[in-house]
Amino acid sequence: MQPSRREFVKWVTASGIALSLSRLALAEEPDFAARETFPGRGAWNPAATGVGRIDGVAKVTGAKLYAADFRAADLPGWPSTTSHAILIRAPDATHVYDGLDLSRLSGALKPAVVVTAADLARTGMRVPQFYAGDLLCPVGKTPLYLGQPVALLIFEDFDAFDQARLALRDAAVLKFGKETGPVKMPNYGQFRFTRIGGPTADAPDVYSPVKNGWVSPGFFDSSGHPVWARLPLPTGQAYAEAASYGEKIRAELAENNPALLVLDREFETQSVDPMFLEPESGLAWYDAGRKNLELVVGVQSPYEAAESVAYLLGNAQAAFKPAHINSNFAYCGGGFGGRDHTPFPLYVALAAMFFPNRPVRLANNRFEQFQLGIKRHAFKMRTRIGVERATGKMVGFAADHALDGGGLANFSGQVATVGANAALGIYYVPKVDVTTYAFHSRGVTAGSMRGYGTLQTMTALEVLVDEICTALPLDPIEFRRRNALATGGRTMAGNPYIVSIRTPEILDKLEQHPIWKERAEQKARGLSAGILVGTGVACATKDYGSGGDGTLGAVEIDHEGRITIHSDYVEMGTGIGTALANRVAAHLGSVADEVALAQVDAFGPLALVTSGDSYTISQKTQDSAARNPRWVPAISTASTASIGAHVGTHAAAEAARIIFRFGLWPAALELWGIAPKDRVANQWETARWKDGQLVMAGLPPLALPAVAAKAHARNGVTGAMAHAFNRWAWSQATFALAGQAWTADIDALAVRRGSGKYVRIDRSNVKFPPADFNRIGQSYTSACGHVMRIEINRATGALRIAKAYSVLECGQALVPQVVVGQAQGGFAMGVGYTLLETLPPYEGGPGNGKWNLGQYLVARGSDLPLRDLEVEVLPPVDPEERPKGMAEVNMVPVVPALINAIYDATGHRFQSLPVTQAMIKGVLK
Amino acid sequence: MTMLSLTINGRAYGPREVRDELSMNDFLREYLGMTGTKFGCGAAQCLSCAVIVDNPDGTSQTMPTCVVPAVNFNGKAIRTVEGHAKNGELSVLQKAFIEHFSFQCGYCTPGFVNEGQVLLERLAKKPVARADLEKTITEALDGHLCRCTGYIKYHEAVRDVILADPDRYLSRA
Repeated sequence: MQPSRREFVKWVTASGIALSLSRLALAEEPDFAARETFPGRGAWNPAATGVGRIDGVAKVTGAKLYAADFRAADLPGWPSTTSHAILIRAPDATHVYDGLDLSRLSGALKPAVVVTAADLARTGMRVPQFYAGDLLCPVGKTPLYLGQPVALLIFEDFDAFDQARLALRDAAVLKFGKETGPVKMPNYGQFRFTRIGGPTADAPDVYSPVKNGWVSPGFFDSSGHPVWARLPLPTGQAYAEAASYGEKIRAELAENNPALLVLDREFETQSVDPMFLEPESGLAWYDAGRKNLELVVGVQSPYEAAESVAYLLGNAQAAFKPAHINSNFAYCGGGFGGRDHTPFPLYVALAAMFFPNRPVRLANNRFEQFQLGIKRHAFKMRTRIGVERATGKMVGFAADHALDGGGLANFSGQVATVGANAALGIYYVPKVDVTTYAFHSRGVTAGSMRGYGTLQTMTALEVLVDEICTALPLDPIEFRRRNALATGGRTMAGNPYIVSIRTPEILDKLEQHPIWKERAEQKARGLSAGILVGTGVACATKDYGSGGDGTLGAVEIDHEGRITIHSDYVEMGTGIGTALANRVAAHLGSVADEVALAQVDAFGPLALVTSGDSYTISQKTQDSAARNPRWVPAISTASTASIGAHVGTHAAAEAARIIFRFGLWPAALELWGIAPKDRVANQWETARWKDGQLVMAGLPPLALPAVAAKAHARNGVTGAMAHAFNRWAWSQATFALAGQAWTADIDALAVRRGSGKYVRIDRSNVKFPPADFNRIGQSYTSACGHVMRIEINRATGALRIAKAYSVLECGQALVPQVVVGQAQGGFAMGVGYTLLETLPPYEGGPGNGKWNLGQYLVARGSDLPLRDLEVEVLPPVDPEERPKGMAEVNMVPVVPALINAIYDATGHRFQSLPVTQAMIKGVLK
Repeated sequence: MTMLSLTINGRAYGPREVRDELSMNDFLREYLGMTGTKFGCGAAQCLSCAVIVDNPDGTSQTMPTCVVPAVNFNGKAIRTVEGHAKNGELSVLQKAFIEHFSFQCGYCTPGFVNEGQVLLERLAKKPVARADLEKTITEALDGHLCRCTGYIKYHEAVRDVILADPDRYLSRA
């Protein structure tokens, strides 16, 4: 595998530290970048013919790929041996931490270095704001949460480390003193989303978050809970207005109105672990002589990780402050959100800084991953829905959500708001009032995980909808049809979606599917056979995009037509590399044979700068900042499964369009002998690639290599590098290219002509999405419906999924096989979440360091209908429809459909998760 | 300390002195740099660490390496994921996993490659009836955890390899 040809560039400086991903010294061993560039020039590329992923060969041959795979000896230019670190964590968060007892580690087992909170303070380490809280619990304080790290032990060699960890297993090495109870901390966020629609669907809203702004209560009771009531106080009038409308909605629901069916239910979801298969790990080496820190980690948010490490060390004493940090980001062995903004790289960096000149590896084992890894939020929800009996239409909705955020804030506030904005699922309701808050606890930190709050709130919703349908009664599909948000309809926040709404088609598909149509006869068949048979249906729609996504992409084509792509997006299994290659191929006629991901510094020619917080920036500040042509609201944001196709491929696709328009197309015209002023010269959008040839009606097909060679020969555009930003709409700007004004959904551009260097092109007429768009809860959405049939053994409560059907939409599917695979994986994760997975919140939970897969059950093949899960992907609404995110929504309806099926089979409606076999057996008695 | 000698992918290693408590997983990953064999749980629950043990009688089975001391492999012949491709040519099963898009993150793939290969070799020696094939595949692969894929495409790949050569893998019963 040849190293990719990316040039060395410095990325940005923070705290006086230069950050980069540099080319390592050439050596016999391929360097890190070469190992992570796929499939590699000259190597077999399964993606080229659609028979596999670009990383396919690497993954079936056990190539070094993940952060867990790298040791110092694997990396050219590094010392040959690796030292190892152990992160000691506190299994107690209600007593004062009194220090370490390492008397078990003597002689050869004695750590070379012990790093404590005192050392971090002494050397001037800073905690990045996002991770606010002690990185290591100081002596004399009660740990902030169960599993909080207290010390790093570093061992010179593997043998000492290995024996030491055995010696420490189950040993009480931490001393605790007086009982204090859990540490009290402020909530991580509290919000109220209230909307009163106008008298007709088209009329302006009376009140909504988009119209009136987002509001938070300003008062809390003695236990820290927000006071949601409207208080007779002069301050907080914006909140009081929302509360006033909200209380009115609730009062209407509380009236004993015979025309309305009102159901009021509580639902609880549990904490679970993402359980990505590769535990977090990292390798770092601080070369004190060169003041250079090298990092190898695997995260979903590389840009953030590099900046956080720089901030951590940026104000440290001279001996602990590198001049340069070179970050290498590896493929991830799963993510599911749990590697997005993880504090783990901070500890990896600390290990290296406190043991200079030796590469140090820090790696969680599975117990430690359960103990410290980011979890899914447990929710407690209460929901009231009012339905007009005569029409079967929902007229009022009120809900209250409480999220256990665990020890650190992480994304708890954001998960709360996303979950709240998803509380209406696929439906339109004219009067809505949702309160939500995320609170601190001594539990393990909760953060981003697939579904991001929507899984919890839409599960509660769809289970309640099923109950409403039973109570009315009304057919569940028909109820959904009557209440589904229509195209142009307003979401809870008060804005319409800006993408296709496919709910009607999905409901039709569900209704027509044999699983649904045959539900009565299957139930009867079961009864006669002594088996409980149940059928459940659910439908969900989920936002994709974070409302502040920055994306980077660079595409180059050489004189033989070979394509190289660089992207800041991270591969954690979602097939982003192949999706990028396929999306670019639509413009350039061939699948790339070099795709390098997680590149945060390969875009130096753009010289981007940013400032402020894209989520809270004012319009005035944004307008002022945008005058600098280098400024963008956010440079690069975390990779998540559902924005890979939508965001992760966007910048590269726009770059490829530019290469085609200003490089390949003019070359093709010359090969065809068409003059630039000929009318055909402007018909570049009608040209198509077919089997590696450029096809244009009435003209001879042109092979890509010939076109590429001509583009190089005439010094046309052969490389383009772009940045784009999305805040529920893409940024847009105009660039002068070949004497033309090129307007596209990007905000920064550099191009390469022939084999020259990249030249930055200043933008004009830049239009960033308005700052007000931050009030939008979601504008991009995709839908998924699910129906399944289950069988329950009366005697044992054992549940078997007999048949299941998922129908989803994702616009243009970039890699159809991966889309189906994501749906299958989401199904498995949904089944596990519903039936198997659970973590107790505090003592006895994962923070005690004793949890592993023997105790924590995830779905195995035998738990799933491996031959009876059907996945249908709707075709795009038109050939030009852009890709839509689908890797989160596909999991959501599985959960309520399964609970609804259990109700259909047993007559018992479970209101908490998981629903275990023992619980089912319990209700059958 | 114990002297360890074994054969990995046809190549002899050792004799080498190793600590008795050193796990086979650490021996492969930390001593030999063979990180194709993964570490997932350290409790023999996910089997991303499984390797193939070839017995003198010609049979083979997979064995976890995360909880088994390296010295337990003394004198044994094992195969790891790095050893399946021959002269740059992927095995039939490796190709099938690629062509079926069987994996996503790929961290569990080495375990599935090994387990699937053992199954193919077992069936080649002792074919099963077509009617028992699904059950056979499920039982063979069920110890392996995959968090990304829902397992379906792994099973499809193994099934298709078998069905593509029924005379070899399926009995006529």
